[in-house]
Amino acid sequence: MTPPRLPLSRQPLRLIHDRIATGLITAGGIGVLLAILAIGVFLVWETLPLLTFGDALSLNTLSPLAWGTLKAALAAMLFATPIALGAAMYSALFMSARLRGRIKPMLELMEAIPGVVVGFIAGLLLAPWVEQHLASTLLVLVWLPLSAGLAGMLWYVASAKVRQWLPLSWAGVWLMPWLAIMITLALWLAPLLEHAWFGGDLRRMLDQQYGLDYATRNALIVGIAMGFAVIPSIYSLAEDALADVPANLMEGAQALGASRWQALWKVALPTAGPGVFSAVMIGAGRAVGETMIVVMASGNTALFSASPFEGLRSLSASIAIELPEASPGGMTYHLLIFAALALFLFTFLVNTLAEVVRQRLRQRYQRLGGNR
Amino acid sequence: MRWLPRPPRLTAMGSLLWPWLCAASVALSLLMLATLLTLLAARGLGHFWPATLEEVTLRSGETLIGQAVREAPLPNAAGTERLYFTGNRDIDGNSWRWVALDDIATVAVPNDLIRLERAPWGDFIGRLETVESDGQRFEGDAAWAFVAQAMALPESQRPVAQLWLTAADGHRVTQPLAGVMRFQAPNAMSWHQKVSAWSGRIWQFLSEGPRAANTGGGVWPAIFGTVMMVILMSVIVTPFGVLAAIYLNEIAHQNRLTRLVRIGVRNLAGVPSIVYGVFGLGVFVYGIGGSIDSWFFEDALPSPTFGTGGLLWASLTLALLTLPVVIVATEEGLARIPDAQREGAVALGATRLEMLTRVVLPMATPAMLTGVILAVARAAGEVAPLMLVGVAKLAPQMPVDDEFPYLHLERKFMHLGYHLFDTAFHGEDVQAAIPLVFATALLLVLIVLVLNLTAIFLRHYLRRQRGNEC
Amino acid sequence: MLALSSAHPTQTPVTRFTAETCCLSINQFHLAYAGKTALRDLTLDVPRHRVTAFIGPSGCGKSTLLRAINRLHDLNESVTHQGQIQLEGQDIHAPQMNVTELRRRVGMVFQTPNPFPMSIYENVAFGLRLQGRMPKRKRDDIIEWALTSAALWDEVKDRLHRSAWQLSGGQQQRLVIARTLAVQPDVLLLDEPASALDPISTLKIEELIRNLKSQLTLVLVTHNMQQAARVSDYTAFLQQGELVEYGPTDQVFTNPRLQRTENYITGRMT
Repeated sequence: MTPPRLPLSRQPLRLIHDRIATGLITAGGIGVLLAILAIGVFLVWETLPLLTFGDALSLNTLSPLAWGTLKAALAAMLFATPIALGAAMYSALFMSARLRGRIKPMLELMEAIPGVVVGFIAGLLLAPWVEQHLASTLLVLVWLPLSAGLAGMLWYVASAKVRQWLPLSWAGVWLMPWLAIMITLALWLAPLLEHAWFGGDLRRMLDQQYGLDYATRNALIVGIAMGFAVIPSIYSLAEDALADVPANLMEGAQALGASRWQALWKVALPTAGPGVFSAVMIGAGRAVGETMIVVMASGNTALFSASPFEGLRSLSASIAIELPEASPGGMTYHLLIFAALALFLFTFLVNTLAEVVRQRLRQRYQRLGGNR
Repeated sequence: MRWLPRPPRLTAMGSLLWPWLCAASVALSLLMLATLLTLLAARGLGHFWPATLEEVTLRSGETLIGQAVREAPLPNAAGTERLYFTGNRDIDGNSWRWVALDDIATVAVPNDLIRLERAPWGDFIGRLETVESDGQRFEGDAAWAFVAQAMALPESQRPVAQLWLTAADGHRVTQPLAGVMRFQAPNAMSWHQKVSAWSGRIWQFLSEGPRAANTGGGVWPAIFGTVMMVILMSVIVTPFGVLAAIYLNEIAHQNRLTRLVRIGVRNLAGVPSIVYGVFGLGVFVYGIGGSIDSWFFEDALPSPTFGTGGLLWASLTLALLTLPVVIVATEEGLARIPDAQREGAVALGATRLEMLTRVVLPMATPAMLTGVILAVARAAGEVAPLMLVGVAKLAPQMPVDDEFPYLHLERKFMHLGYHLFDTAFHGEDVQAAIPLVFATALLLVLIVLVLNLTAIFLRHYLRRQRGNEC
Repeated sequence: MLALSSAHPTQTPVTRFTAETCCLSINQFHLAYAGKTALRDLTLDVPRHRVTAFIGPSGCGKSTLLRAINRLHDLNESVTHQGQIQLEGQDIHAPQMNVTELRRRVGMVFQTPNPFPMSIYENVAFGLRLQGRMPKRKRDDIIEWALTSAALWDEVKDRLHRSAWQLSGGQQQRLVIARTLAVQPDVLLLDEPASALDPISTLKIEELIRNLKSQLTLVLVTHNMQQAARVSDYTAFLQQGELVEYGPTDQVFTNPRLQRTENYITGRMT
């Protein structure tokens, strides 16, 4: 069969189009990447005037803010890291695989909740409530881990049937009602304990005995709220690192007689260590940069205090509140941009470090011959 | 119960119990998430449900009518007190009243109590006595029927009438029908009527503007502003993000530099959003905006046109903020396309442009879409940068109207997230505004969650597709 | 690079063809991936309207050589090459040579079928649309002709607009052949086209190759020696990037001139 004839092709046009397109894409691509670079350039540029006529005195106005940022981030990390890492360890290594497929996305969705919403609940609901029920709050914070241990102990001495119905691999879910009950118990008990130990009013005792003021919105509230916001970031990355530990390593350890927990502690964690560490670093980066939660839940008082019951003011909050009012070119303007530069450098460095660490980890996993 | 033969050593016990703490971490996180969402849903949606009005007679003989809100222990004594929302700010000076439970003699729930939302003064709670309209006078049931009928008509068609109302203490007030936004007799409503009133109020919330200093009305301008900004932002970020991803993945030589650039782009996703706001303020608003003002809008100076925050600068700033998200998502999509497809196209004589446009990009479209959706989800929730570049407490005009050039890029606009912040922290009657703040928060969280779930869904669909092919 | 006798005493003299019968001419072609040599001083001619097979152990460079013929290596930045390849007398690396036109004239079928995620019709039409606009009727005709030549028309004529990914492996490979045929190439390069397919599909592909000989020049890379013996007219045996022996298929398989060739064909490890 003879083939039908082909039309004359429009060759030259195609090549021209290709050249133009490649040029445009290159220009666009490089342009975009340069625009991203421009952020750093701008920040540095606008900070330069400080070098000439800035002085230590004006920089001093930033130090309580820097302290506030660190304090808020520390509080958030103290609250978030144990929970997020514990959740990651459980999720990667103890939870049933089917459950993990459902729960992991849910926990990762926590990340999507806007900071405004968390800040609003923290500032308008949590803060007043905690102020009225400080003893309850502290009791709940202490009682939660203990009650988890209690659940474990009860489980071990329970009958085999109970253990079958409520296995450890599903504990992430059925512990929810247990914790809810325990929290209710603690809230009920707290007033009695407060009466017995603190003469009925913990806040008054703190004030009279230790001179500790209690501000409605303070570092404790910020810690809990921002901690909640940061948990999913840490959890997601740490869980990925732990779950990707080559299965043969864990099996090898268990074949030698180690319990699951020992295998986790002695094999998985050291192997995934860099990934876990980088997850925490990224969480810290987020905590340092979060603005709305701090604006709404910290009281915005620039204090140099170490007390968790006092307010604070962070760099990011100050920028958000003061920069619109600052006249461009003025001292405040440059100072605040310097604060933004500090935040930018800190998070950028932390994230780069974390990414480098994670890439090394990926290479290590490949060498160990790993996939699940 | 069986007993352990002997208590195990501490480390062994630790080894047994630590997993439980880890499990509890997951449970606690889930619990916190569930509590948050339930709280938002209950307080947010619950606000619209027609609440029962109570007529409380105190021991002192005084009566008050209102909606019971919550109870709290008395500040300086034993016992509890209850907070009532009584409305009638014009009469009492205050819409709220705390009543100690011990002071209450009787509580009644009569059917004829009404709740009226009025234009300037917010809610009125009391009874309807008479209605005068067009020379006619209605009383009792007839008055009710008249008002109910009138309210069922659209606003422009309602008759002119005057209502005579009685408050709890016997105070009489007159109210023109024109100023009445809503009329309800909640105690007399059947469950069906309550559901329909509930959905009606939710619809009002979504479609109307705020009233009475954000204690009433809705969030429509904020929704509109957010949507407008998000659309503009997507229009900007999609082509540039996709272009950058194509350049990185398909055109640039794959070497150390490209790897560094990739790391840099990913890191930028972690830079605090406020920093982007600072950049937007300095470069877009003061820099470019200021220049535009001095070139084109000199007559308007010193009042800035483009030299202040507005829709355009806000969209550009958020586009820059979400650029890394789109780039990363698109790159992931491009990387997942097997080289065999590219080679197949090239082997048939396609130029690189043809290979990209006819084979690669269509295959990468779901990934690009995922990136844009995630970008939109982020933009809907970010408030901090907007505080610097363009959002307004109460925008005097909408950014889109029928005045040329129809899309006003220099105007300030309202944003759901900022509206939430502003109402919760800068409102006058924060107590009254809180229920609406909850509703706004619920709306915002729902939007963000739905967008994220769509992106997750797309990703799963993508993974399954790739799996089928290989 | 000097003549072959001194460096490789075991290599046979090169088989060359005249301009009338020669389609592809490879002259002292070297190719290296990031410095590591993959093809060494290759010289051979591929005759027109015949099937030429490249055989040899894994990694000997047969696929690399194939991909050099349609300049697919241009996509890879780390590749360097020297020497010449001529298509119908024209140097394919010459600046005047239009690469996209070269690739239209030299079609390629890959080891694993790679149809585009489009309909069967659009797969075959892909190359045609690149060439420019043509009336739909004409395009339909060409597509029918291509699918018939690829022995696929009867199986898909009722579902041209269904996705190509729904076809079986053997059908997908024939579809790939059809879309390559649609742009009417002079040469068809086949890189182990049947290695991923079941035996029945393999036989269909082999029959197709035999039928296409009258219209095209075919170059087949295969690790299946029986296939080479069944289907090809000329066979080139490559080892470690070098051409070891090249001649008519019958002669190479029944009476190889070099011991190395005989070892490979009979399956001895060295």
